[in-house]
Amino acid sequence: MSLCAILLLLFSFATTSWAGDIEAFPDLNLNDPSSLQEASRVLEEELKLAARPQTYILIDLVTRIIQIKGRGVELHRIPIATWTSKLLKDMKGIHRLIARPPVVRRKIDPTTTVEQEPISLADMPVDYTLSFTPPLTIDVAPSAGGSPLRWIVSSGKTWWRNLKNWGGSLLTDQSVTRGPHLQLAVSVEHAQSLAWSLVDGMSLVIRRPTDK
Amino acid sequence: MARVLFSISAMIFIGLLVVMVPHSSQMISPSPEASPSPAFDKAGIRILQARYKTLSKQLYQLMPHQPYILVDTARNHLYVKRQQEVVLEAVASTGSGTILDKPGDSNSQWVFDTPRGEFLVQSKLTNPAWVKPDWAFIEEGLMVPKNSSDRVEQGVLGEYALGFGKGYFIHGTLYTRMLGKNVTHGCIRLNDGDLKSVYQFARVGTPIMIF
Repeated sequence: MSLCAILLLLFSFATTSWAGDIEAFPDLNLNDPSSLQEASRVLEEELKLAARPQTYILIDLVTRIIQIKGRGVELHRIPIATWTSKLLKDMKGIHRLIARPPVVRRKIDPTTTVEQEPISLADMPVDYTLSFTPPLTIDVAPSAGGSPLRWIVSSGKTWWRNLKNWGGSLLTDQSVTRGPHLQLAVSVEHAQSLAWSLVDGMSLVIRRPTDK
Repeated sequence: MARVLFSISAMIFIGLLVVMVPHSSQMISPSPEASPSPAFDKAGIRILQARYKTLSKQLYQLMPHQPYILVDTARNHLYVKRQQEVVLEAVASTGSGTILDKPGDSNSQWVFDTPRGEFLVQSKLTNPAWVKPDWAFIEEGLMVPKNSSDRVEQGVLGEYALGFGKGYFIHGTLYTRMLGKNVTHGCIRLNDGDLKSVYQFARVGTPIMIF
């Protein structure tokens, strides 16, 4: 009986100590104050989200991973090939997705016996813009991934967007892009997977690199 | 004409410059090992480390510590997980994403999506009967019955059902060849064996995470 009690006590110490060593960001340099501050800021935001029954997004620009999470648990991960940003310093706090990318849904016609094809990942867009509040814009585009054609299309779109911004700023005498802006390049499959996983009003937190 | 051509050429040239010059963009690179900032002494860093570890622990405490159900609607897979360990993996069928107009209301539709987010198992049923909602009749071009007993259909949901709110269930199916596809009206279908295992694992209150 006493042996059981001792074993139970030892086990409880072991599990407490294990839980105590859990680190949210295993890649974190514990000797870098800026990285520690950024990680703690993200954790403070994430704690607010994980306390409620919902799924949310964590974009980790340090490890280049997009995570769909719930209660602090990673449900799904999407690797980022490359990213660029404007006003990175303003990407703090919790942002809420205004609307998920539009999906073309097929309508059931009760007058026919023909079954409608269900939507699938292949129906999801690969190149889209996500708008958040407080203001944040995220452009998701497929990474070139060794395809010259995809690189040309992607570069062309970037060029056109920059030209529009520049033209707009000339006309209105102010920058058209308001608020921070993040451009993510992911594989085609991952772009579609992200579009699928998004929900209107979904919350987002971004972990920023501190070496900039 | 020459002036117009000159203006267009100038616009394209300046546009190219805008693209070439990397104004406030930042190119990516993972954070290298940074050396401690001189603004923080060892004691300061220890405080930051303690803060970070406390927050990590708080997040860990919010994670489900009992088994939970995870549903991937894009790939039609259901998992029972205990922390990061996969206890059970099953092929499922989830919502088709199709739409159906509500009769008499051109602005209103049913959207057959499996809801995303976190839910809880609210009920555990054995030998459940399907009480067919209005859409089940309308999509087949039938009249909605006035008598509620005409809505009840036995034997189509398998031997068990787990309710997670608003009429959504994890249940069985007669159409096992459709497992792995998005074909349902929002419920989550499993084959008989997997359904039995999930039913045995789950308690009322077991979290269901759907993405």
